[in-house]
Amino acid sequence: MGLTRRDFLKNSIAASAAVTVGMPVAKQAEAAVKATEAGWQWDKGVCRFCGTGCGIMIATKDGKIVATKGDPNAPVNRGLNCVKGYFNGKIMYGKDRLTQPLLRMTNGKFDKKGQFVPVTWDKAMDVMVEKFLEAYKAKGPHGVGMFGSGQQTVPEGYVSVKLWKAGFRSNNIDPNARHCMASAVAGFMQTFGIDEPAGNYDDIEYTDTAVLWGANMAEMHPILWSRITNRRLTHKDMVVVNLSTYGNMSSDIADIEIIFRPSGDLAIQNYIAREIVKRNAVNWDYVNKHAVFATGPTDIGYGFRPAKADQFASAREMEVVKNEQVHVTDKYEAIAQRRKAGEAVKQANTLGAKPAADWAISFDDFKAALEPYDADFVTSVAKGNAEESDADFKAKLLKLADLYCDPKRKVVSYWTMGFNQHQRGTWANEQAYMNHLLLGKQAMPGNGAFSLTGQPSACGTAREVGVFSHRLPADMLVNVAKHREHAEEIWKLPAKTLNPTIGSHFTKLMRDLEDGSVKWAIVQVNNPWQNTANLNHWIHAARDMDNFIVCCDAYPTVSAKVSDLVLPAAMIFEKWGFYGNAERRTQAWRQQVPPPGEAKGDLWILLEMAKRIKIKDVWGEQNVPGLKEAGFTDGKLPSVLDEAQKMGYSPEASLYEVLFATPANKKDFRWPDKAVAKGHANHISETLKDGWFPEKAMFEEYRKFGLGHGHDLAPFDVYYRDDVHGLRWPVVQKEGKWTETPWRFNDQYDPYAKKGAGIDFYGNNGKSLIMGSLDAVGDGSKKVDISGKAKIYFRPYVSPVEQPDKEFDLWLCTGRVLEHWHSGSMTRRVPELYRAFPDAVCWINTKDAEKRGLKRNDLVWVESRRGKVRVRIETGGRNRVPTGLVYVPWFDESVLINKVTLDSTCPISKQTDYKKCSVKVYKA
Amino acid sequence: MNLSGILVVADRGRQAEVIAALDAMAGVGVHHVDQPTGRLIAVQEAEDINAEVEGLRRIKALPHVIMAEMVYHYIAEDDAVYPELPPELAAQETSCTVPAYLMD
Repeated sequence: MGLTRRDFLKNSIAASAAVTVGMPVAKQAEAAVKATEAGWQWDKGVCRFCGTGCGIMIATKDGKIVATKGDPNAPVNRGLNCVKGYFNGKIMYGKDRLTQPLLRMTNGKFDKKGQFVPVTWDKAMDVMVEKFLEAYKAKGPHGVGMFGSGQQTVPEGYVSVKLWKAGFRSNNIDPNARHCMASAVAGFMQTFGIDEPAGNYDDIEYTDTAVLWGANMAEMHPILWSRITNRRLTHKDMVVVNLSTYGNMSSDIADIEIIFRPSGDLAIQNYIAREIVKRNAVNWDYVNKHAVFATGPTDIGYGFRPAKADQFASAREMEVVKNEQVHVTDKYEAIAQRRKAGEAVKQANTLGAKPAADWAISFDDFKAALEPYDADFVTSVAKGNAEESDADFKAKLLKLADLYCDPKRKVVSYWTMGFNQHQRGTWANEQAYMNHLLLGKQAMPGNGAFSLTGQPSACGTAREVGVFSHRLPADMLVNVAKHREHAEEIWKLPAKTLNPTIGSHFTKLMRDLEDGSVKWAIVQVNNPWQNTANLNHWIHAARDMDNFIVCCDAYPTVSAKVSDLVLPAAMIFEKWGFYGNAERRTQAWRQQVPPPGEAKGDLWILLEMAKRIKIKDVWGEQNVPGLKEAGFTDGKLPSVLDEAQKMGYSPEASLYEVLFATPANKKDFRWPDKAVAKGHANHISETLKDGWFPEKAMFEEYRKFGLGHGHDLAPFDVYYRDDVHGLRWPVVQKEGKWTETPWRFNDQYDPYAKKGAGIDFYGNNGKSLIMGSLDAVGDGSKKVDISGKAKIYFRPYVSPVEQPDKEFDLWLCTGRVLEHWHSGSMTRRVPELYRAFPDAVCWINTKDAEKRGLKRNDLVWVESRRGKVRVRIETGGRNRVPTGLVYVPWFDESVLINKVTLDSTCPISKQTDYKKCSVKVYKA
Repeated sequence: MNLSGILVVADRGRQAEVIAALDAMAGVGVHHVDQPTGRLIAVQEAEDINAEVEGLRRIKALPHVIMAEMVYHYIAEDDAVYPELPPELAAQETSCTVPAYLMD
């Protein structure tokens, strides 16, 4: 009997899958694959979704993607794909793809209250630039803003930063990565003086212990989870611990599950540190050579508006927001911070008051600070499941400390949003390093504290390129004169073009739109009107105020709907790009298919905007409220037009000509570039029509920032070679070969670590700390050189600023689900994914439901001091929430849970805490 | 209809039992077996992704299965089966007007 077409397809899929994971197949099967794949073109790519950075292979035929498979040669995923990765090829084909610019109009003219009408790109750009210049002239460089993204490609992020900071002289650009990675960045910078992890994913195959701190890897990083599962099942000593505020899928293979009360993680980490010290498990050789003890001010507020908050927040909101000025110490904080319960503590070190810098402390002070964190106290403050006995919880804590302290046991600690989205997110990150540094289990195979990322290029683009309001490429800062000068040199700018004032972070940009200090904003590759906490305020700012919002997206997201102009954007495999994952791996792909209709890459949109703005529009004298810097007049950026003219730039020249399509770039980076393109098109080069290759030109220019100081990348073309599956920076040439760095700060692997030092935390070279006591910085008479060293911070437990009370009696935690990515704007277009998990639900404990007369599937209101949403409840399924806590994912725009969440941020990182606020739940 | 290629890793020595269990599952067939490593490739045919993800979960839960993950997804075939967005989503997404629930 002959094969049916379906049988034939199955044989071919099986054979192709087998080959992908390196299994031998028969000749016949190979023939089936060949027949099925006749006329297909396979090329390497990177997954569009989480920060894991899986390599995928994409097959195209007749301008359409026909199949995807895991890349067998990708070291990250070794041929595997999770459910989301699996649908990379489908997200582009939603029926409601935006294919032409849409402008709100009435009678052929822009009208804020008008309906969206399709317009030409020319018309769209003209109105966009007209409104931009209007806002710019009225408010200066900080009267305009950009919401960037950890999903922008590296060249897109770089062009955004250069256009904003060098072109517009504005630091009001911040990525959605602020919502996901800022605390990790601040933790790295404060501890090591340089961003991003020391280790890499290979730690999984070297370690004996994986401790998950508020990271539900089974659902959010499934491929890394499959590697951990494999290790757990094949290495007899492997132990997995899952710490979370609710039971989740990661608990399924965990040996220990610890359910803690929100913010209890701060106390648990100090308990472990106390045990390390008490048991004399400190690795003194490591600590003496490579670390110093440190602390900092604790009265740092909660990241609300520093002043005049009551002009915008309601009276109900002010019940919480008032803590930004004065916080009354609760019974737990009294013990944890050695204060008195009820003591009113003025928050003297908030952002508005310019916080004091951190200082060094002695080991004795460090030890004394840990003393209150014994098992009894930590259990009282951190036990998260009321039904668990204190004795059981204590036994788990003890076991966890045993695992960390065992000198023979390798340990990796993983975290993502649980630590990062935290009112003390920077501290939680620093505490993770505290314990690994104390034990000497950092920066070596199988040992380390590892910050996972949520987005595909939160590291590669947002962090490394510096798409933040305070950053320049390669960890440099806008408020450091030396860094600005270096950037001005690479960018060939007149001196003092760059603005020394830190711009507005993501949440502050929203607050600026609300209070009228920003009047124009553009959104690329993210969905701020779904992803920012306390949304009702920001929807009002977009729709009811005289602000102009431009949203570039592939689909009509919430942000598109509240905008004034919507620009249709190309998606991942419709353009060239680079992403950088959580283990410092930079990976590249080519354009595989053309974008639909008139959609264009975000890079093209920015470059077309740059064509329409002349340097005389932006490089004259500008007002910048709050600017205060040596060499500058207060509140002013000087005109640099004369200097520019001396450098050969005419005032009439466009930013496109001066910053991007320079004569050198047009000469040195030609398109078509046959050697790299291998037959692939580039719609951006081809529609700019200047014969240059902007992605390559910008990548090569960006590389200059990192070369020679620990951020080195390989040349553009190297990443496109078939035998290269991403490279972990720093990438340096050794014997003619571009060589990556698997473990940083370790002289066996890292070319920047001093040979013979063993470990060398060179990010802090040349820096020092003032010696102080536990509660105050010293007089400056004693300084500690921290060259080559990392900081071991003591950070105390601080209670969440809003906690359940009589009226709002439940904790609300938000996050993602496996099937959907972020705000669901792409994954909800894949019919299968939509059907697998169509609408958000509110997970609630059966007892809490019964107490409220509710049963599974009932429609309820989830209401906070800020807003409410209607949602169905779920009492079973994959998440097991304890009594007193509900969980609502945020992917569903019809359940805009961020209307309910609290816009409190970590005051250091300015990252919002989406994991805890208080709500009530009642029948709708 | 969804067709996916899945890598399944079985406990050494228990491969035959895993193969029998997989072959007994509706829509699942074992195509390639690599005895030395305990790995095998199954192809799953499922009505929709719900069934598919459930199927993958059931495979992971089978006795003696160490690991199961998707490797290959055939897309072209799906277009014929899903010509439209689910109506409930299409109705919500077709226009770019600001929905009332945003302005509650």
